[in-house]
Amino acid sequence: MSSPAAASTITSSTSPLRRLAVHSTTTCATQASAYGKCIMATYTDVRKDVCKDEFEKFGKCVREAMKRKW
Amino acid sequence: MLFHHQCFARRLTRSLAVVSRSHPSPDLNSAGPFQIFDREAKRMQKDRAARKNHGARSRTVDYVFDEVAEGLFVRFEDIKRKFDTLLELGSGAGRFSKLLETQHTRKSVLLDCSRESLYRDENRGFEVLIDRINYDEERLLEAVQPNSQEAIVSCLSLHWVNDLPGILVQIKEALKPDGLFLGALLGGETLFELRTSLQLAQVDREGGISPHISPMTDIRDMSNLMGRAGFNLITVDLDEITCGYPSMWELMDDLRDMGESNAVLGRPHFIHRDTLAAASAIYKEMYGNEDGSIPATFQVIYLIGWKPAATQPKPLPRGSAKTNLKDIL
Repeated sequence: MSSPAAASTITSSTSPLRRLAVHSTTTCATQASAYGKCIMATYTDVRKDVCKDEFEKFGKCVREAMKRKW
Repeated sequence: MLFHHQCFARRLTRSLAVVSRSHPSPDLNSAGPFQIFDREAKRMQKDRAARKNHGARSRTVDYVFDEVAEGLFVRFEDIKRKFDTLLELGSGAGRFSKLLETQHTRKSVLLDCSRESLYRDENRGFEVLIDRINYDEERLLEAVQPNSQEAIVSCLSLHWVNDLPGILVQIKEALKPDGLFLGALLGGETLFELRTSLQLAQVDREGGISPHISPMTDIRDMSNLMGRAGFNLITVDLDEITCGYPSMWELMDDLRDMGESNAVLGRPHFIHRDTLAAASAIYKEMYGNEDGSIPATFQVIYLIGWKPAATQPKPLPRGSAKTNLKDIL
């Protein structure tokens, strides 16, 4: 799932937002994709927490990758 | 490697206040009519963008401005007239003027609210003479005299002007009779992918939406506004530029470094990280290309108009034709 393009951007850059970018697109690409698909399936009727479960998995992965609370 | 954008065909703007800003929240109740944008914030964003790495970073993200300046230049070259001096309104570092040669004009005057942008390329080559005016584009008639300009060109600046009908009138007033206005501004389809992704993410995560991307005009409104401002021989047309990015994050970085971050009054000064991560996932899933990159659309509206003058061609009176149209068709 991870794109080579995004992977190439992993550098020594350490700003928190940059790490969030890398982890949300590359490290957690599978969970991101599952969340995106859930939104895609419901985007004509999106309400708060409509994809809560999918996001929790995605968020958990990113948080673990970030190794801290965000 | 898709480290930077790769733009193709024809098709920018504003992104998000990713970092919380220190400006005081504007009081929306006290803003006068037509106040949509925070001009002071826009000036600071442009200054900051142009200053980064002594302008090097800003130059690398000039690609959208360059593409549109080329589009303007093609239209400009169709005009068989040599100018002595022309004015570039909201010029940045001289997006359009750097393409000019001495056969087109002797001198170009750059006008921009951001001093850093204006002087970014001060020591780089311009073929024509350059003057610079550091002044708010919205108040053009305070910077130049009415009936004083041969031609006014604007490359991707008018989409940040609060009073668009008003600026078009000011441009027409600033022109000499038979003076040329040639402009390009961003249209409403610009960054629709980013707008949609952020809205969906924010509804799902936070249960509401807030303005992350400016309202922009469309081509029909521009035709009407050009006519209403009193221009003659109006041409309005549309172009799209699509750029590819590794992900939403690179797109947002580039927009910021272009000085095109969100400057809508009342914008949120903070986007929750959950919302950003969600938007990035949605963007890729909804719009992503097969190679894993994401597209971003920039819709550009090109404008040409002339200040009325007695010497301009006019339609003949009704019924004065000598040839029956039937004979031709």
